[in-house]
Amino acid sequence: MSRLEAKKPSLFISEPLTTVSQPLSLLIAILKSCYGPAGRLKQLHNGVGGYVCLTSQSSAILGHLSVSHPVLKVLTASVQNHVSRFSDCGLFTAILCCSLIENFKNLNIASCTIIKISKHLLSLCTDYLKSKACGCQVSVDFSNLETLLCLVRSILTSKPACMLNKTEVDCLAVLIVKAFMYTVPCHPETKPVLGKCVTVPLKGKRVLDSTVIPGLLIETPEIQFAKPFSVKRTSSDAVKVVVFCVSMSGDLFDPEEGTVTVHHKISLEMSELDQLLNVGKQLVNDEVGLVVCQKVIHPSLKQYLKDNHIIAVDRAGLSVMEPLSQVTGSKPIASIYSLSPSCYGSLKDVRAESFASKHFVHLIPNDTTVCSLILCNRNETTWDELKRACETAEHVLQLTLKEPLALLGGGCTETHLASYLRQKTCCLSTSSSKDVECSPTQYQLITDAFCHSLESVACSLSHDGGEILTDMAYGHCWLVPSGFPSASNWSDLLSKCGCGINSSTKDLNWRHLQPLFGSSPIESCPKEPSGKVTDFMTLDCFAAKYNGLQVAVETANLILDLSCVIEDQN
Amino acid sequence: MASRPGLQQEAAALAGAVRGALGPRGGRALLVRPDGRALLTRDGRRLLEALGLQPPTARVMAACACRHQSATGDGAKTFVLLLAAVLGAMREGSPRRAARALPAFERRVLERAVARGLRPHLRSAFPAGGPGEELEAAALEALLEAYLRGRLGPGERRAVTLLGCELCARCGARRPPALRLLCGRFAQLHAAAAGLPLARSRVLPGVLLRRDFAAYCPAGGRLRAVLVTRCLRPVLTGPGVECAVRSERQHRAALRWCGGRTEAVMEHLRSGGVRLLLSGVKQHEEVIFYAKLHGVSVVECLSSEEVALISEIAGISPYDPAGDSVQGEIAEAAVVTFCQPLLLGSQRYVHIGFSSAGAFQPHCLVLCAPVDAINEQHAATLHGAFTMLLQLFRAVDQECGAEGESQNSASGVGSGYSPATETRVVTESIACGSSQVSEHQLGACRGETAAQSSDLALQESERPDGTPPASAPGPHSKELSVCTDGADSAGTHKLPALCECPDGMNESHRRQQAVCSHRNYCTAVASTATLCEHLGVGKGPEKAGYGVTQSCPSSILEAGSVLPVGGYFEILLHYYIQHYAKQVQQSAVTVISNVVADALLSIPKALYGTERNGFTKFYLETTEALRKNQPLPVNEKGLESVYCKYQLVTSVLHCVTELLNIDLIIGVKRPLQKTEDKDSDDDF
Repeated sequence: MSRLEAKKPSLFISEPLTTVSQPLSLLIAILKSCYGPAGRLKQLHNGVGGYVCLTSQSSAILGHLSVSHPVLKVLTASVQNHVSRFSDCGLFTAILCCSLIENFKNLNIASCTIIKISKHLLSLCTDYLKSKACGCQVSVDFSNLETLLCLVRSILTSKPACMLNKTEVDCLAVLIVKAFMYTVPCHPETKPVLGKCVTVPLKGKRVLDSTVIPGLLIETPEIQFAKPFSVKRTSSDAVKVVVFCVSMSGDLFDPEEGTVTVHHKISLEMSELDQLLNVGKQLVNDEVGLVVCQKVIHPSLKQYLKDNHIIAVDRAGLSVMEPLSQVTGSKPIASIYSLSPSCYGSLKDVRAESFASKHFVHLIPNDTTVCSLILCNRNETTWDELKRACETAEHVLQLTLKEPLALLGGGCTETHLASYLRQKTCCLSTSSSKDVECSPTQYQLITDAFCHSLESVACSLSHDGGEILTDMAYGHCWLVPSGFPSASNWSDLLSKCGCGINSSTKDLNWRHLQPLFGSSPIESCPKEPSGKVTDFMTLDCFAAKYNGLQVAVETANLILDLSCVIEDQN
Repeated sequence: MASRPGLQQEAAALAGAVRGALGPRGGRALLVRPDGRALLTRDGRRLLEALGLQPPTARVMAACACRHQSATGDGAKTFVLLLAAVLGAMREGSPRRAARALPAFERRVLERAVARGLRPHLRSAFPAGGPGEELEAAALEALLEAYLRGRLGPGERRAVTLLGCELCARCGARRPPALRLLCGRFAQLHAAAAGLPLARSRVLPGVLLRRDFAAYCPAGGRLRAVLVTRCLRPVLTGPGVECAVRSERQHRAALRWCGGRTEAVMEHLRSGGVRLLLSGVKQHEEVIFYAKLHGVSVVECLSSEEVALISEIAGISPYDPAGDSVQGEIAEAAVVTFCQPLLLGSQRYVHIGFSSAGAFQPHCLVLCAPVDAINEQHAATLHGAFTMLLQLFRAVDQECGAEGESQNSASGVGSGYSPATETRVVTESIACGSSQVSEHQLGACRGETAAQSSDLALQESERPDGTPPASAPGPHSKELSVCTDGADSAGTHKLPALCECPDGMNESHRRQQAVCSHRNYCTAVASTATLCEHLGVGKGPEKAGYGVTQSCPSSILEAGSVLPVGGYFEILLHYYIQHYAKQVQQSAVTVISNVVADALLSIPKALYGTERNGFTKFYLETTEALRKNQPLPVNEKGLESVYCKYQLVTSVLHCVTELLNIDLIIGVKRPLQKTEDKDSDDDF
């Protein structure tokens, strides 16, 4: 009998926001220092030893960080949820959310007023981002690879822990776009589903050794294949493939209840094996060239197949089954008592390949949407980071395919939005403040705090104390390299804005982003950029940033709305 | 013995804990569960439960509040506030004496205040057709919005209200049967996705099952689906069955037969036009294999709730191929307009469009929010809102049910004041309210109360200050005739009236089969023929009055009564309690009337919170209008159910009576058997 213990009463904390300041500022400091291409790396490990994670990505940091304050738990959970949906813009969301909370908390205005107005401001932002007139939105043309490459390059360069140089970034970006192109079906009318890119890890090799090959690679131990490697073909020069998802080990394991009485001298195992060999015979008769089994194949059957020049691959695992049926077009067979020829699939060719010390069976299909990305990096930690980056890039490309838009990166979207909001609310404030029942001053203060939070995301791109400026015409973000006196002539120091679309000219007016409260808004709407989409621009995924913005504001609102925390102490 | 000194402080502390979450200006609470997961809520019941209270009397208070909420879907926080205010005001004077005066106060002041004072101010949530009709769209929105205002943050209310209204409208849940199904199966009728903004939430046609396809064969157009609850592959052995294998060949043949039989069943299903197999259990790999081969999609491992939902919506029962030969016709098949996989976050769903067999048009709600905790909060809130809406209907159902009976049975209504009876009735009707039809409910109520009827009768006879018989002939009392007058003033509205059991009927109580006294609102009645005759004599003169009220045995409040939200109910009741208290001579009752009347004001006070002079201004404006007989100055669009509110006041009074009557608290070593509480907990 279990011991009965009296339940402890819960801990009641009223006004939880008063205790959150210190842990919140610590979290902001961690997140801000990771942001952007120049972000600082974080080494995560536990004191006992073991695995070390070197990263600057929000998904890894928030996943490993144990946050104790309940309010921050909500915040990190919300960012993690966003990242699991969109892969990108996790740090943006987290930093924006934290600075919103911090800035709003200092305002001393009733939280329901803040929530109403920030919701109103958010809707201004989202409407603007979706509108055609938006100055920070770039439409993506899939017939022109350059924009896609820009998107992927921006993602790879913003993950400094991958330790890539410029050539490696370019090479990987091409590979990732190529892999993505493979997964897009040629005839979307028949099957409008994106294929799959399977990442094959190769650690300890140079990044430049990475490649993309069409078809599927299944890892196998070397000894299986006699040299020369040949595969039996059917009359039409294709390779017939059978996939089993049932165990072919010859073991009897029926999960049925009840008992089976077996008479003397009868061996069910033998009977099972006989049946397996029957299957083998039928496979030989049907001119099958390759047998893949998810589970184990009995050694005698394996030998039998080998003798008949059929390649048998077992222990393929569940994860391969879906791409396997996509590549071969076969249906996994679940019973060794009935083989239907309609389940067979076919391949163009099967080859044995080896990369580094690993051996693979390469299934080459006629026409497929499955490809394998062989990803190399020098060591385990950087490989992990690189894999996360590649997955993000692939996901971003998929999201972009759904919604062919991108946003200007390098902090330009944030500063542009902020200047748009300041300008917009300046002429709206009296009428809007009436709608949400607050005074124009409150409205102005909250708008200022909101814009300041947006700009503080852009500001966290600079890590060496370099100044951050914004121009008065386009509202873009400009980073001054560190080590220059602030009073110098800016147009000489600056060459391009954060996203790389605007070049500096004499007639642009700049101002500092940092000391911002009470700054005057620009007279007219921020203009659309003068430049065209160029080769080396920084672009962000539209869907991810759009969602991140909304999630950040909603999460901040929800945290501001908290009136108490009740902690169960059992 | 005086009441325990800690009672007031405990109630005040509880009120302090929930006050922050009350009303539209309140904030929400973050509950951290023992496993570290966060739960966001403004729900009074969850807050009280999360506190993990230790003082025994505080636990009683919290339990009463939770019980009230599970009955009406609303009001645990208000309950605590009102309780604290009443107890606080009772500090002076003798609490025991006050407790003894409470029943008299309730009967002679409170009920009159509601029945006569409040009635002219009430509005109806039903369009002119009266109860039983569809709930008006505007009223639905106003009710939902007001309910959600007290539970969600300012940024979400509007969006969730619109979602709730859309769901109700598209499900056909503005009528009672569909609403009952929606409420009972809400857990299966919504899905949540985290990491997205609330604006992405949608109402989708069809049903979402929290499973992935075991086999998916895309099929366009309308198709048939069957429901199975056992594996379609025959088994060689079973529990307690022994299978003797005599030869290897026999074993192989047996296994081959199993496979062949599975294929035959699948072929049969496919030839019957079945393209979708919904299974309550895990199917054998061979079944999946043959299904894929024959182009039948399979969804397996459905929970029993999902199976129940499907059979309820589509009106089918599980298909079982074992008994009949494979050639038989497949009768139990549902028509499905589409079926496809749906990915919400990392969770895969099966999205099936059933064509409905009943009043319920299957639609489901996809809730989106940055964190799961918010989704849970929204779902729990909407569920609570539907429970609250159901209160408007359930009463209607019971009245209609009783209406038919009242043709051949008399309308003898006992009004029991025993808190025990009250609780039992409420709990019972909740337990079955979610899934069963009203007749069953009635039956359950009757069964329960039958046991209580003799107690009731005793109580009635003990009551010395029963309502004196009026000048009207027969045993039926003044109450009734007064109410009938009220009916005229209320115009076209169908008027319910409270019938007090006259003292002279004590003997007949014993013969009565059941006296279901849902105190005020839903009064279900059945009695034996003897009683019918017995009463019939006295009833004649009232026939005319009953004609006006459509012969509904009835209560003080009619179905679907609503008031604007924001403290109007409390102020009105405060005003009218004071008004009617003046007509009562008994000093104890007058004292308690003033206590309750003042305590009621604590709720609007808390609603207005820190806003300066907000409450005072509101109070003065409203009472001024009342005094001058002008319409109330209402600038609120939201509505609330008066039934719930009235129920709240009476529950608080019962809780006070209970608490004040405790004279000794005994700690016991062994855990007490508590059955009723558990039921209502699980029920939520």
